Amino acid sequence: MPTEEITITPIKRSDITGESAWWCLGCGDFGVNSAVQQVIMSLVNEGGVPLENMFALSGIGCSSKEPDMLRVNAYQGQHGRSLPVAIGVAIANPGLKVLDFGGDGDTYAIGMEHFMHSIIRNVNITLIIMNNQVYGLTKGQASPTAHGGLRTISTPEGKKGRPVNPLRLAIAGGAAFVGRGVSWQRNELVDLILKAVNTNGFSLVDVFSPCVTYHREPGYRGSGPIFDWYRENYVVDIKDAWQTMRNEVFSPAEVAQLPEEYDPTSPEAALNGLRLIAEAGKLGREVTGLLLRDESQPSMAENLGVSADHAPVFCDIDINNNLEGYRELLAALR
Amino acid sequence: MASIQIYGAGRAGDGTNTNVQMLTQALKDMGAWTFFWRDEVYSNIQTRDSGFGMRASDKQIFGPDDEFDILEAFDAGAYNDEAGEGRIPPITRVKQGGAVIYDSSPRLDYPNTSHEIKIEDFQDIIDAKQLRTFGLPMGQLAKEECDGRYIVRGTIALGAIAQMIGIDPERILKRYAKNFGDGSENYELNKKALEIGINHAKSEGWDLPDVRLDVTPIENDTRQLILGNYAVAIGAIAAGCRVYAGYPITPASEVLEYMAERINQFGGAMIQADSEMAAAHHVIGSALAGARSMTATSGPGFDLMQEAISAAGITETPMVIVLCMRGGPGTGLPTRQGQEELNEAIFGSHGDIARIVLAASHPEDCFYVMEHVFNLAERYQCPVFLLLDLMLAQSDYTVPELDPSGFVIDRGKLLTTEQFRERYGDNRIGNGTRYKRYEVTEDGISYRAVPGTPGVNNFYSNTNEHTEDGFLTEEEVVRQVQMDKRFMQRMELIRAEPQLPQARLYGDQSGKIGFISYGGTLGPIVEAIERLEAMGLKAKFMELRTMWPFPGQQVREFIDSCDTVYVPEYSAGAQLRGLIQREATGPSPKLQSLLRYDGRNMTPGWIVSRIEEAKVAN
Repeated sequence: MPTEEITITPIKRSDITGESAWWCLGCGDFGVNSAVQQVIMSLVNEGGVPLENMFALSGIGCSSKEPDMLRVNAYQGQHGRSLPVAIGVAIANPGLKVLDFGGDGDTYAIGMEHFMHSIIRNVNITLIIMNNQVYGLTKGQASPTAHGGLRTISTPEGKKGRPVNPLRLAIAGGAAFVGRGVSWQRNELVDLILKAVNTNGFSLVDVFSPCVTYHREPGYRGSGPIFDWYRENYVVDIKDAWQTMRNEVFSPAEVAQLPEEYDPTSPEAALNGLRLIAEAGKLGREVTGLLLRDESQPSMAENLGVSADHAPVFCDIDINNNLEGYRELLAALR
Repeated sequence: MASIQIYGAGRAGDGTNTNVQMLTQALKDMGAWTFFWRDEVYSNIQTRDSGFGMRASDKQIFGPDDEFDILEAFDAGAYNDEAGEGRIPPITRVKQGGAVIYDSSPRLDYPNTSHEIKIEDFQDIIDAKQLRTFGLPMGQLAKEECDGRYIVRGTIALGAIAQMIGIDPERILKRYAKNFGDGSENYELNKKALEIGINHAKSEGWDLPDVRLDVTPIENDTRQLILGNYAVAIGAIAAGCRVYAGYPITPASEVLEYMAERINQFGGAMIQADSEMAAAHHVIGSALAGARSMTATSGPGFDLMQEAISAAGITETPMVIVLCMRGGPGTGLPTRQGQEELNEAIFGSHGDIARIVLAASHPEDCFYVMEHVFNLAERYQCPVFLLLDLMLAQSDYTVPELDPSGFVIDRGKLLTTEQFRERYGDNRIGNGTRYKRYEVTEDGISYRAVPGTPGVNNFYSNTNEHTEDGFLTEEEVVRQVQMDKRFMQRMELIRAEPQLPQARLYGDQSGKIGFISYGGTLGPIVEAIERLEAMGLKAKFMELRTMWPFPGQQVREFIDSCDTVYVPEYSAGAQLRGLIQREATGPSPKLQSLLRYDGRNMTPGWIVSRIEEAKVAN
């Protein structure tokens, strides 16, 4: 157990604001950062989570500058490797609220191994991805989420082949929480991230956070227009998709059994979500919103027999207090 | 020193391993000092040849001898190169006039029937070596008298050997009772098989009066019979390791398996990672959160960890890696001896980072050094590697009782709640003494705070170059200050550290023949020195235990006191010799490499014969 209870001191945005800005003017990541700060203030001021218990991590890329934009306990790691570090943190001290930040290249390319296994292990952390379809920090190469046909410096003829669909992978892997936000709708994003943080198990919040410098669509170039492109041509809210697409997706007999509203907590949410993702994909659209919330599976910490109260970091490792146990180990090997 | 050596040659999965282990345990219980090694294990689960060696002595031993007194042949592989790949069968290592106990059963309906032993197939070796042969129809006896439980062939052979070399069967039965449970089905089966073997040897009048060890059982024998990897694992737990992360790899997996079974009982957790890349980063995460944590791996896994090691270096995160070396490169020889990872441990990963590389040479070392491994990692906030080699990692040694009661746990500048409050007060913005993870301090080491501690809300650890409070920077002045602090100054501090394990000296220090080596070469070298002495040659040995920072001056002085210095190592590239030249002598004609890179263990005779060859060549 921690040696003493921590008293909660209310915080202001300026208390958790870092020293520098690393992003281009108009970058979607500013919206995500603003929402994240709002979430942390809400967790501390209303949720009673001590600021001491926040732990932010990131990898490498524009989005991974997020810990620098904050002022909380944090680790900025190497490219693709923030998730395994987050697992170490979350197992050593399950009492910490772990927020992991990454980009689509960081997590869905070089970090894919860790992405899938973090989901499958159901480690109790929240992964927030600033997804912009390009590698911004290395000047605009296509990322795994770049849609088919997207022209970038590494796909001069337009991207060929399929993009990674992180929502589909997260649902298939058995994530406890799968949601997608958009950087330009802050209140909805705050709500989504808060729900994710308060979910026991692995939570993915993939956020469309447009790159205003390197993501160019025919007829949509620059800060304002690229946001318009997303709104007009790319996203569809899961609730709207439920209303407009379910007649295509489900048989009449199934439709008769379906609830009016999309329900992310229903036992069928995983399958319904996957079918809507596929249907939207046929129209070149990506779904947004809360797709799935399922806390029925034990978290990784629970599976390993550790908890906030019985955390490896709080173990008494004094020799004298453990000597008998150590001697038993040795006596068994004679 | 007197010792006997017995070797079991069979086929993977046929119980040979257990049989030779039982022999080891029985001889240990009779008061002997033993060494059990997995001599021939293919990277394969069943069907390939396998061989296990056991040596017992009246003095403590640290490795195998050259030749076997007894060969137990369960399979034609004992004398045959079945696959025709150039394998040298174990019968070539039986000593002149030695004994072969072989399965003389005709072809039966048990597995591996194609490997039936036919004595006429190796009559030439029997004649040349004047071997005494004992045909014991183990398979047939197992089939007819033990319900066809072919696996007890080894137990029948064990009974015969016990009878022939004077092992009290009660010692073996006690071990069976401990391993299988007294009166259990397995116990009764093995007891019966043991008796069959004893009675067969008795009725045939078999005896090996020359294979005897003059030892007496020790009352309340507290000596350990312990695998190098288990000694590491228990040492780590006793040193306070509470998060272990690892990925299965030979020859390090036993550390992971031991942790899986035991670490939870002390409040810790074992994470079986999705790769070594992940494992090393789990270690970083757990260390950031404030737990003592480690991983163990071998060459290919260590390659994958280089990125994390570099991250631990710049973030000044304590990281412990036990590196159980094997034959490389690539997948190389996964189940065979090697020391090819020394350079990688010292020079691997990008960027200049402070690090400490230690080496262990026997399980006692493995156990006791863990206290220092963890203390050094936290005191200097840097990666610490402990080198083992396959023979040490995966062999069982009899060693004196291991006692952790003297372990002192020093967590360096890790701040407790009270210490944090004393230094930083409420640590709020505007407060003049706000916590800085990479603060430039007088002694060159920054304070470590643990997230979750009251008041700790701006712990920022960064793999980018960073300011004192962890924020990303690329400015030249800050860069230089931080680099000087965590690398230049840190290595200076480490070099002056009195707890770095000191090199050990063996042999006659007035001798002009020297040896310098590390790790599992200890046993063969020490015994080679004894044999050289019997030949009238005085020799001495410097066993290195701290490989980095390299004890250059001490090594130079040792070399200066010798005419010739042999450097035995399991590396074709002579990595240790290269290190000595780089750090101590420069190119030196005194240094002579003794290189073994066929994946097999050095023995005393191998070393002596190489020295004789070198002398002839000169």
